[in-house]
Amino acid sequence: MVGITDYSTYLPSYRIARDMIAQQWGTKSLGGIKAVANYDQDALTMAFEVAWNMVERDDTTLSHDGLYFASTTAPYWQRASSSFIAAACDLPDEIEAIDFGGSLRAGMSALRAALNAVVAGANQKVIVAVADVRDGAPESLEEQQFGDGAAALCIGKEGVIAELIAHGSRSDAFLDEWRRDKDSAVSSLGSRYTLERGYIANTVTIGKHILELARLNSIDIAHVALSSPDGRAHITAAKKLGFDPARLLEVPIADGGLTGVPLPITLLCQALDRAKPGDFVLTIGHGDGADAVLFRVTDQKPKVSRIPASASPLNIPTYSIFRKQRDFNRTATEEGGVMSNVTLEQEERQNVRLHATRCQKCNTVQFPITMVCVHCHNRSGLDEVRMRRRGTVFTFTKDYLYNAPVSPVGVGVIELDDGARFYCQLTDIDTEAIEIGQKVQLTLRRLRDGGRMHHYYWKCRPLAVTEVRSNQK
Amino acid sequence: MESSLKDKVAIIGIGCTKFGDNFDQSYEDMAAEAVFQALDDAKIDAARIDAGWLGTFSPGQGYGKASVSLADAIKMYDKPLTRVENYCATGTDAFRNAAFSVAAGIYDIVLVLGVEKLKDRPARGLASEGNHLYQHEGSTAPGLFALAATRYFEEFKIGRKPLAQVAVKNHHNGTLNPKAHFQMEVTEEQVLKAPMVAYPFGLFDCCPTTDGAAAAILCRADMAKQFRDDYVLVKGLGLAVNTGRPWFMPGHRFTGFPVTQAAAHQAYEMAAIKDPLKEIDLAEVHDCFTWTEISNYEDLGFCKKGEGANFISEGRSRLEGDLPVNPSGGLKSSGHPIGASGVRMIYEITTHLREQAGARQVKNARLGLAHNLGGLGAVACVVVLGQP
Repeated sequence: MVGITDYSTYLPSYRIARDMIAQQWGTKSLGGIKAVANYDQDALTMAFEVAWNMVERDDTTLSHDGLYFASTTAPYWQRASSSFIAAACDLPDEIEAIDFGGSLRAGMSALRAALNAVVAGANQKVIVAVADVRDGAPESLEEQQFGDGAAALCIGKEGVIAELIAHGSRSDAFLDEWRRDKDSAVSSLGSRYTLERGYIANTVTIGKHILELARLNSIDIAHVALSSPDGRAHITAAKKLGFDPARLLEVPIADGGLTGVPLPITLLCQALDRAKPGDFVLTIGHGDGADAVLFRVTDQKPKVSRIPASASPLNIPTYSIFRKQRDFNRTATEEGGVMSNVTLEQEERQNVRLHATRCQKCNTVQFPITMVCVHCHNRSGLDEVRMRRRGTVFTFTKDYLYNAPVSPVGVGVIELDDGARFYCQLTDIDTEAIEIGQKVQLTLRRLRDGGRMHHYYWKCRPLAVTEVRSNQK
Repeated sequence: MESSLKDKVAIIGIGCTKFGDNFDQSYEDMAAEAVFQALDDAKIDAARIDAGWLGTFSPGQGYGKASVSLADAIKMYDKPLTRVENYCATGTDAFRNAAFSVAAGIYDIVLVLGVEKLKDRPARGLASEGNHLYQHEGSTAPGLFALAATRYFEEFKIGRKPLAQVAVKNHHNGTLNPKAHFQMEVTEEQVLKAPMVAYPFGLFDCCPTTDGAAAAILCRADMAKQFRDDYVLVKGLGLAVNTGRPWFMPGHRFTGFPVTQAAAHQAYEMAAIKDPLKEIDLAEVHDCFTWTEISNYEDLGFCKKGEGANFISEGRSRLEGDLPVNPSGGLKSSGHPIGASGVRMIYEITTHLREQAGARQVKNARLGLAHNLGGLGAVACVVVLGQP
């Protein structure tokens, strides 16, 4: 049996009310709030969040052998996000890492590729991690509609939660929504014709095709996860396919936004969270055609939700701060030095994989990796170990001298759960609320740009209450 | 053993530029001014100098990390000159190494110069120079010391008020020191209401970035009388180095500086000091931030750990207190040109021991201490000086 063995979603912590955006421009508000990536986040780091979520709680002996990343907003044109995410998850170098992109259905394409690879026996266990941080032009409708987010699935043969029943794809060069290589904002030809000829035609055609393949009727499908170009058209498509609107997953426009590539996968995860064994779940993602996958939920489905609750949302107080956060990494000067790739390589195990040293004699776990125990000065029998990624704030400051869009920046010394100490910025946090003893999770962030490179490193964020009880490595 | 050094080395000349925004002086100008002041003070010619030690963190443009910026400033060529750099303990460590050479009988007369030009730099202050580009990217000196202060607040249940009292005291002393960067009184309220730099440090909790140079001429103690009657003797020296990254040290407490305790222990042993509070008449300590001075009281043994806030609140470290600390105004008012600071402290102590400190003169000053602290407790150097 091939199918989904784990799933997870991620919504960034920051929120902005659409009324605030509309007020800025004197336009009509779509209402609700949109989820916004912090200035130190991008598609790579958000995909890491969800991928790590699954790696962290995986207690099986079978290692992941594939990591497929999909996004239309990957941080590099040339340099694989998937390889970096795999390293940050401390997965072995033998892993097959692939970046998918170029279309809103890139995540569904990655999912289908993973399913095909496992069905063919080429791979055993593949993570599909997808994320987008999409920009609509200032004042545009998209600026209000879009939200940022990530979702991930694990595809394998053991412990299958949802079994693959059928899947399919169709291609369509019809022009509805695009972004050129030199654009930062999405362009679209919003019209009734565009919707009907583009989104609805493709979604309905592929939906019918899948039902035929599976020899099922629309009444048999318990959960319908349809991506949506506008938060409304998926309802029309569902009706045309004969689905009961009550079985249609709600596109989270009121509390999140149109997340792009992750949208259909996020809806699929939400469907899995509420599904019962035996339920059929149909997912369709659009973009230059459409991809569809049909799963049947098994009795292996876990009782607790696999979707972590995010920490308390942080409201962005003004439109100008939203803009500043949004544009910081694009406009910040590339100050500061650059490490040679010799140093980057030498320190990869500690700086990317978060390995540390454990002394066999006194058991002290210490970072960075060392030749001599900092506690007992032992220099034989020092093991390289994976450092724990959760801990508590031992001490902190709120530094007003940091180069960041919002001042001050929280900086702390973290006592990790294995006793190692880690020094880093505190992110996704109300700096006024930082406390000694607060529980935190290390998180990969874009630290800064320099030397025409993005520099990724670790910060920590508050740990949500529901995260505290899950497994960890 | 170092203990053999006591009373073997004398200070016979001292010099110090005005500390401040010395926009009209170059690195070389300041270096030359301080050295020539010290030579004039000792009434000797540069030709009599056998060897020199330069303490500097960042030499002027084009000098690189060598001792050539001393050679070129005073055109002292073909002599053994050594550059010392040890974080903010650079100045006192340069002095310490110079003293060793004299005590060892290698040289008769040597020169120590500490010099720094921080205001010529494009960025403000010491913006993250030499930081690991990931592991402590962007971290700042106030941000690092603030980590320790926050933890100290948590353990000893103090607030920002005693820190403000340190600023008030050192700003007051600065008004009496014509060479200090700031001659400006501040009130406790002003300090507490100043803009934040790195919580819990506001603007007046931080020392400024400053230009300056200071120099000293050392000679064999048995020669000192040839030059002057009011020479000063080196009584004790101590240097300790600990981790440069305490934030990664498992179990580290952050409530004080073991390096200062270790360096002070060495210096006190050498100087045969049993009770520093009673025996030491004045101290110039490293108040890079107001809280650092409170920790210094404790680490130098002036009071017990956790009692530093009372030490300031009770006025014991004021000019008229039982152990005046930072009569110069400290780094807080004098400013902190890295390599120059330690030598400037030695200049200050020597001035008091010679009873030439004017309005800020500490009464009956016979034994004085200078203390530098580099990094967040990475390096500490303690120098004890006394009257013959």
